[in-house]
Amino acid sequence: MPGFECRLKKYRQLKEMTQEQLASQVGVRRETIMRLEKAQYNPSLKLAIDISRAVEVPIEELFIFK
Amino acid sequence: MKNNNTKLTIILGILCFLLMAAASWYTVAYNDSRLLSPINPAEYTFRTQDLPMLISTVLFILYFFYLFLLLIREIIANKRTERTAQDARHLDPRLGCFGFLGFLGFIGFRTYITDREIFPFVFFLFFGFFGFFYEGKMSDTFMDERYRENELRAQAKANQIASSIILLACVIVGQGKLMGNLEYTLIAFLIVVVLSIALDLFLSKYLLYRYDHGSQFDESED
Repeated sequence: MPGFECRLKKYRQLKEMTQEQLASQVGVRRETIMRLEKAQYNPSLKLAIDISRAVEVPIEELFIFK
Repeated sequence: MKNNNTKLTIILGILCFLLMAAASWYTVAYNDSRLLSPINPAEYTFRTQDLPMLISTVLFILYFFYLFLLLIREIIANKRTERTAQDARHLDPRLGCFGFLGFLGFIGFRTYITDREIFPFVFFLFFGFFGFFYEGKMSDTFMDERYRENELRAQAKANQIASSIILLACVIVGQGKLMGNLEYTLIAFLIVVVLSIALDLFLSKYLLYRYDHGSQFDESED
């Protein structure tokens, strides 16, 4: 997705979480987390907030729109 | 449907059938087969002996009406469950084989030539059942927001393609001069519409599968 950067992978690994764990915590499938990390999916505001809370990183640090 | 309801429906069906059989026997034995053999409704005059046949026919019609209402109620209940469901419905991909029934539509060419009957062309609709193959592959998938988004995207794309084809058919075939014959035009239009609906049914499932499993990249955990 042009202009969209996702730093989820870095922060998730810092929190020592697997994709599966994060996915079940925020109520999505692992594939969705995978796509997010590859910046191939633009999440809803709710999902973005849930993820930011799960990895304890501000939302603007995780998702960057240039 | 609950078990008690199913039993009641079956028992009512059997009763209606038995009543109809008894009424038919009575009519054949004691009423000159009236109402069984074809009659002209304009010349019909009521006789008391017609009552068994009339009552059983009315009961039979009421039973079919009851079955129709049950069907509608089940469809609405299923739609409600689908809306609140967390997982995609469970379906065997082999049900996609029903798509081959679509080839029955070709019988229409034969029946049109022999009996001027064009209804078999509607069987082309079954081609849409090939979509069950892809839906079955996604059985019990947890429907998260990406899945629901993809579902809507696939449905919208399928509708767009199908309606574009129908629109084109309206413009081209709708001129009504296909091979200089209005009947051929109607048949061509029927086939195009039926195939477009089948394509819509198939594409909505196929595209959902494609969008969900789509772009080729490593799906392994980091």
